[in-house]
Amino acid sequence: MTFDWWTLGFQTVNVAVLVWLLQRFFWKPVSAMIQQRRSTVQGQLDDAAAKRKEATEALAGIAATRAGFAKEGEAIRTAAHAAAAKDSTAQREQASKAAAVLEATARAAIETDRSTAEAAASRRASDLAVDIAKHLAARLDGAAVQAAFLDWLVKAIGAMPEAARRLAGAEGATLEAVSATPIAAADQARYDAAIGQAFGSRPQITYRADPSLIAGLELRGANLAVSNSWRADLAQVLADLKR
Amino acid sequence: MTSPLSSLALFHVGPVPITAAVIVTWALMAILTLGSVLVTRRLTLVPSRTQAAFELIVDTVDGQIRDTMQMEPGPYRAFVGTLFVFIFVANWSSLVPGVGPPTAKLETDAALALLVFVAVIWFGIRAGGVLGYLATFASPNPIMIPLNFIESLTRTFSLLVRLFGNVMSGVFVIGIVLSLAGFLVPIPLMALDLLTGAVQAYIFAILAMVFIAGAVSDGKPARAIPDLSNPRTTS
Repeated sequence: MTFDWWTLGFQTVNVAVLVWLLQRFFWKPVSAMIQQRRSTVQGQLDDAAAKRKEATEALAGIAATRAGFAKEGEAIRTAAHAAAAKDSTAQREQASKAAAVLEATARAAIETDRSTAEAAASRRASDLAVDIAKHLAARLDGAAVQAAFLDWLVKAIGAMPEAARRLAGAEGATLEAVSATPIAAADQARYDAAIGQAFGSRPQITYRADPSLIAGLELRGANLAVSNSWRADLAQVLADLKR
Repeated sequence: MTSPLSSLALFHVGPVPITAAVIVTWALMAILTLGSVLVTRRLTLVPSRTQAAFELIVDTVDGQIRDTMQMEPGPYRAFVGTLFVFIFVANWSSLVPGVGPPTAKLETDAALALLVFVAVIWFGIRAGGVLGYLATFASPNPIMIPLNFIESLTRTFSLLVRLFGNVMSGVFVIGIVLSLAGFLVPIPLMALDLLTGAVQAYIFAILAMVFIAGAVSDGKPARAIPDLSNPRTTS
């Protein structure tokens, strides 16, 4: 067995040099590349995490925006419901007012029609009464009727207050006696006497015929109007019916 | 057949004998250096298969240093890794016909053990200063100083003897079998020798790490080493 110290020295230096060479050309570059890759991957992971965080925040923002949309939509729906309810109420009130106006108008029209119909009916009734009265008067004895009306006229004058009767029938006063048929001249003296006796004086009486009286004898003056005819009676009846 | 225990000079440069182990070592140095240059010439972030394989070697060495020394691998990677790679390649150089592994020679193993011995001192002083390193001999008790001093020598010697004995014996056995049995008979023994060579490279590197770690961290609490094997992720 031999031991060569030169070989020991060579091999020691050789291995030491090899350590330096491999450190220079292998271990250092490769480990640096590994570290660089780790740093790069870590950076990418950090970027990915940051982007994921940003995406999460963006999603949260979108969710919040969507929630805002829903809330806004709910507010719009609520406002629309309120506006619709308000419009509906206003339209109902307007329709109610219009209906009230129409009802009032209809009632007024109905009342007008009813009044018109009543007036027409009264007019027809009046005409019918006049016709009936004419027919009756035609069937009665004219002289007897005139005598009756003269009698009623005298009684009406007698029923007047004393002062009024004196004023209306004062001496020289002009009175007008209106009858449905002309009074014959022969009878006029008798009429003058009866009327004068009722007044207690001699007023000037003129005679005039008015067929619209139907039947009767009326006396008219400056201070006097005695309605004593069927026309006046019928008018009184119509007035009573209208009340 | 020459004795594996002797180193014969192939030639002399003046008074300096140049043995086959030195020549093979130079060749291995050239091959490893040239290969390293070729491998690291075009390193990219997206590695090729070759780059990935060599990165796996570096990463494995780093992992072994972290697991064994409980320290960051940076300062020790080149020394420990080169020891492993050189011993591994030197042991397996017997695959080349006519080439004897340099580690089968006592001088080479002694050189490796001497480098480990120096490295232990170097890293120990660098970590804790001269006094700090010397204080490691008093651990766990000053009474242990003589024993620790003797141990620092004997463990170096054990490195030398272990590697030399395993590799040399393999070569010796193969030579004997080859001379007795013939051409193909030693092949299983050669395969076993390859396995032995790989294991011895691993054991030598592990023991070197243990010795250095003992000098660096003896008397100090073990530092927590962050796990850098996996990239840090953030959620």
